[in-house]
Amino acid sequence: MTSATDDPRADGSWEQLLAERSFIELDALARAAALVDRGAVRVLAGPFDRIESPWLEPQGITPQSDDGTVIALGEIGGAPVVIAAVEQRFQGGGTGEVSGAKIAQALTLAAADSRAGRPTAAVILFETGGVRLQEANLGLNAVAEVCSALLDLRPLAPVVGVIAGTVGSFGGMSIAAGLCTSLIVTPQARLGLNGPAVIEQEAGIDEFDSSDHALIWAVNGGRQRHATGLADVLVPDDTDRIRAAVTDAIGAGAAPTDPFRSRRLDVLGSRLAAVDPARPPAPTELPRLFGPTYAPLPARPTASPPPATGPEPRSRGRAWLSALADGAVDAVIPSVLRVLTDTTLYLAVVPDPINPYHRAREGQVGLTESLALARAVTELTDADRAAEVKRAIVAVVDLPSQAYGRLEEMVGLHQAMAAAVDAYHGARTSGHPVVALVVGSALSGGFLTHGLQANQILALDDPGVEIHAMHRAAAARITLRTVEELDELAKTIKPLSYHVEDWATLGLCDGLLSVDDADCPTPADIATVGNALAAAVDRGRSGPMDLSNRLDSSGAVRSRHASRRVREVLTRQWHE
Amino acid sequence: MQTLTYSFPARRPVSRAVHIGVVGSGDLEILLEPPDATHSAISASVRVRTSVVGFDTVWHDVLHRFFTHTPLAGRWELNDFGATPGVVTLRLRQAAESAEDDNG
Repeated sequence: MTSATDDPRADGSWEQLLAERSFIELDALARAAALVDRGAVRVLAGPFDRIESPWLEPQGITPQSDDGTVIALGEIGGAPVVIAAVEQRFQGGGTGEVSGAKIAQALTLAAADSRAGRPTAAVILFETGGVRLQEANLGLNAVAEVCSALLDLRPLAPVVGVIAGTVGSFGGMSIAAGLCTSLIVTPQARLGLNGPAVIEQEAGIDEFDSSDHALIWAVNGGRQRHATGLADVLVPDDTDRIRAAVTDAIGAGAAPTDPFRSRRLDVLGSRLAAVDPARPPAPTELPRLFGPTYAPLPARPTASPPPATGPEPRSRGRAWLSALADGAVDAVIPSVLRVLTDTTLYLAVVPDPINPYHRAREGQVGLTESLALARAVTELTDADRAAEVKRAIVAVVDLPSQAYGRLEEMVGLHQAMAAAVDAYHGARTSGHPVVALVVGSALSGGFLTHGLQANQILALDDPGVEIHAMHRAAAARITLRTVEELDELAKTIKPLSYHVEDWATLGLCDGLLSVDDADCPTPADIATVGNALAAAVDRGRSGPMDLSNRLDSSGAVRSRHASRRVREVLTRQWHE
Repeated sequence: MQTLTYSFPARRPVSRAVHIGVVGSGDLEILLEPPDATHSAISASVRVRTSVVGFDTVWHDVLHRFFTHTPLAGRWELNDFGATPGVVTLRLRQAAESAEDDNG
């Protein structure tokens, strides 16, 4: 695969090779300092502020004084910049309540300064295995807040992502990587939504052999991501070259020549049309198929999907969508249903037993689902652009997770999900009230894509409703516990809990609704939930357009001390 | 996880705060600050939080030996993720050198 043209060292002599200074070997603070003018950084909410994760010590895990994320102010090329550097050696760079809040708040402050006439760019140094499972629901929410804050800043100042390695970027934070103005990778970097080990665990070794390092780098590696247009710049692991790439990316400004990748639904659509899930391409064929730039591929005839046979699989998403929405249910694609009325767009992801992507047959959010959601939401925002009163969006949520599959990772599930996140964020910030209604499972990246960008989140108070960063068995395995130990811990550590009434105490819930039958709603259930939705839409219209209500709610005041302290300390120190 | 506290006699109070290391596998972070009003200026008060339980005596011996050679008074916080005694001593020395290095 290596050729002279895609080798970032091709122009280097052996003298240059010897003179290289590794960036990967630096810790988070040294990485941040290496990127700014004269190495001068001012660290905010640093070790001596001691904003630790409040959730680790009760679980017997030693916390770190800055929760493994460095927020540093400095200048690059004389212009102000904030750097968020994740320390990969602490908890594998996992995003927790505090580390996530630090990044989100840093981006929020950069946006505020930019709006006030002092454009402040952001650089995010991604090294993360994903949401820190010991802080499950608060980590997952933190990722949603990072994505939202990133999108708030992106039109005002460049947001540059760097993935140097060796952990790389996996999990929800890779959605944030897919939202960046530009993305810089090294050959040692990896980028993907689901890590190889998780895919193997969920789907078996035939789907992804996580011991096959050549396969991992062929799918997730920085070189491959660059060769398929999912990363903008490929640089060797050399501090000077990485600094030069970051400086160039910031110099290009907030509006690069090419539109943001996560807005290019045309490119995503043309790429998906070029892939036949029945005969998936090999990783080596992908650079030729997709090309090195993120540009639309020539249109090609697509086979129409085979007609559905047999009864529609039961799904709470389908049941509640049809019950609540007064209108005809139309399939954007068979696994994404839509009802569009004069006042509201309802969307649900549902099972499709003959989904061409076999890892997305049980209602998971995969590549085509992400694109269908992004298209449906974008169509509405486009149609209502001039409208005085924007229609509401109701995301009916019942999804087991995102799709865990090798093909999904090859094509770039994180980038597809970023498109849906961008679309939902765009709708919310242009004045559409967005309400998530959780009627069943709302797990992991699926919920990040379809639900967590809402202004308001409602959930049914029902044992079948489960909101979490990962399903029980997998979360237990990855945190080296038994399911029983996990359940025992979750009694006192609420973000770990699988019970919706515990989730509702975290400050993220705008209404927990009691119903008689969550599977087949009764007329009284429909009235209850309908009224709650109407009230949530009203609150969405009058409330903040960002996600600050999740920090200011009475639940957050009780449960999210640490996030609120991050906001207070960062804001104060930023302006010192 | 286990939290251990120790106090060792010390002579030279450190004059500035130092942060060293990472709570990563086989490693630890150290936060060192000058003594404050609630702490004795002639002792090193040490708090260790470690992910590995049951090594109280080893911690005591490693710290005792270090503070015998390097009697730096101040507040020492060690957040440990399974560092070996050699690594602990290395990090302690690093912290001491940074705290006493006037140019650093």
